Amino acid sequence: MRMILAVMYREFRIRTTSLTWMFYDIFMPLLYLLVFGIGFNSAFPDGVVVDGVRLSYNAFFLAGVLSMASFGIAINTAYGFFVDRENGIFYEFLTYPMTRSEFLVGKILFNCLLALVQAATTIVVGSALLGLPIRWDLLGLVAIGQVLGTAGWFFFLMTFAIRIRRNDMFNTFLNVVYFVLMFSSSMFYPTEALPRWLQTVSLGNPLSWHTDILRYATVGAGTVEGIIVKGVAFVCFLAIFFALAVQTIRNPLRA
Amino acid sequence: MSSHEDTVVRVQDLVKVYRKKSRNPVRALDGLSLEVRKGEILGLLGKNGAGKTTLLRILTTLIQPTSGTAEVCGLNVVTDPYRVRQSICAVLQENAVEVFLSVLDNLTTFGRFHSIPRREILTRAEAVMVQFGLDEYRHQTVIDLSGGLKRRVQVAKVFMVDKPVVFLDEATTGMDPVNKRATLEAIREQAQRGRTILLTTHILQEAEELCDRIAIVDHGRCIAIGDLPMIKSMAVQVYDITVTFKQMRPEILETVKSFPLLKLDTAHTTLEMSIKASEVSTFALLDALSRVEPIVHFEVTSASLEDVFLELLGRSDRNAAAGGRS
Repeated sequence: MRMILAVMYREFRIRTTSLTWMFYDIFMPLLYLLVFGIGFNSAFPDGVVVDGVRLSYNAFFLAGVLSMASFGIAINTAYGFFVDRENGIFYEFLTYPMTRSEFLVGKILFNCLLALVQAATTIVVGSALLGLPIRWDLLGLVAIGQVLGTAGWFFFLMTFAIRIRRNDMFNTFLNVVYFVLMFSSSMFYPTEALPRWLQTVSLGNPLSWHTDILRYATVGAGTVEGIIVKGVAFVCFLAIFFALAVQTIRNPLRA
Repeated sequence: MSSHEDTVVRVQDLVKVYRKKSRNPVRALDGLSLEVRKGEILGLLGKNGAGKTTLLRILTTLIQPTSGTAEVCGLNVVTDPYRVRQSICAVLQENAVEVFLSVLDNLTTFGRFHSIPRREILTRAEAVMVQFGLDEYRHQTVIDLSGGLKRRVQVAKVFMVDKPVVFLDEATTGMDPVNKRATLEAIREQAQRGRTILLTTHILQEAEELCDRIAIVDHGRCIAIGDLPMIKSMAVQVYDITVTFKQMRPEILETVKSFPLLKLDTAHTTLEMSIKASEVSTFALLDALSRVEPIVHFEVTSASLEDVFLELLGRSDRNAAAGGRS
């Protein structure tokens, strides 16, 4: 546990060196919701329909903003590996008296805490300013969704960040992956409105699973059965990439 | 290889082959064996690509060997990497610092990773900052420091902890002479306290001055290991000669070149050379030179570590070439 706390302390110290970073970390999703959400809310005054339930665009978009925030944290951390590698500290870390799993768990716990702070800020302020119909009784599920989501995206991107050694290649990879995942997901629009082939793609998209779980947990859209299936699918996705991440970091110079 | 009871690092027939797609496999280590005893400073010398860094990467559990065994404090680096990491600390070749943190934060963060009690972290950080001349930079973000200062921060961290084994990969690279001296003294002091130190360096004078024993690595093998007199005795009949003439003439160089030289430098009217020859031949050379031009001053000394190093590597290259031909 001491090593996990040491990793978290290190992440905390680095994050708190920059006010811009801290502001981005805490308020980015809220700002996204306020600026982008309000714009689209005006563009779609009748709102959108999800599983037969009509929601204002703001209410619909809240889950999208939260999953985007999780993904954003994972992106930042993945780029952090490049910075650490360039500065040599990444390899020195791996000679410290801790297991590779402790290193990963410490990093992910810090990111999960960050995701929870972001989510709490966004939900509380968003609800107060925009009157979002939050299911306060399901807040625990929001927390679980954010933690699992952040962990899943972290392990997914970390695996590639360590295997792809070139920053520019990783950048290209990330742009393509994010583009495909984002636009074939339920982040910005209900997938029911998409062409059938894109709906099929969306069914296998972990970003859709994550967003749909958060949508159910925040505003109650969706069915319990559907959420359970998507939850199990996302946990499998997380487990696979956790295993790959540990394997990758066991031999970082070969990867 | 005979094994001592107080052996702290033991490497036996270590092989590491790097396999890269679309490239021929590279045999970085080719059956390397060596031992380091408790409280000893062992210097690893070798050309670039000789296998020194690969050896340190295996011993610090960053990579795994292809075959052979490597143990630190009796623990196998492959089967027990976590416990090995509890016994070591390392300065790797790359500059390893937290660039966004201050000097003090770099040290305190490092202390936390090495389980130094929280109350003691600051005391130890203060001590190493003074020892390495970092005190005035304590609140400065490391990204703003020069390369040499960054290296100092990296090296200073190692002296905060009490791990029994320390690996230093070209630790003094980029440091100014004053801090290099402080670092060498700190290393020596740590060894006197019983810490075992395995270091690589390209600065032979540093190795000569600091190390209890020296291992010369070439083509992934240990081609010589022992204390300085022993290493020097492996390259017998190598002499350093300095000769000053009244004036320098082309005939002097022509005369010199007919002898088996390892190294030749000229400065004004002085020749500095290393010769691989018997005592008789060495004085024959001086005699020949004095016939060409009167000698004002001469000095003959036994070989320096650099001469021995060059001689042993040359021998190793010839052996490798002969092995390749056969």
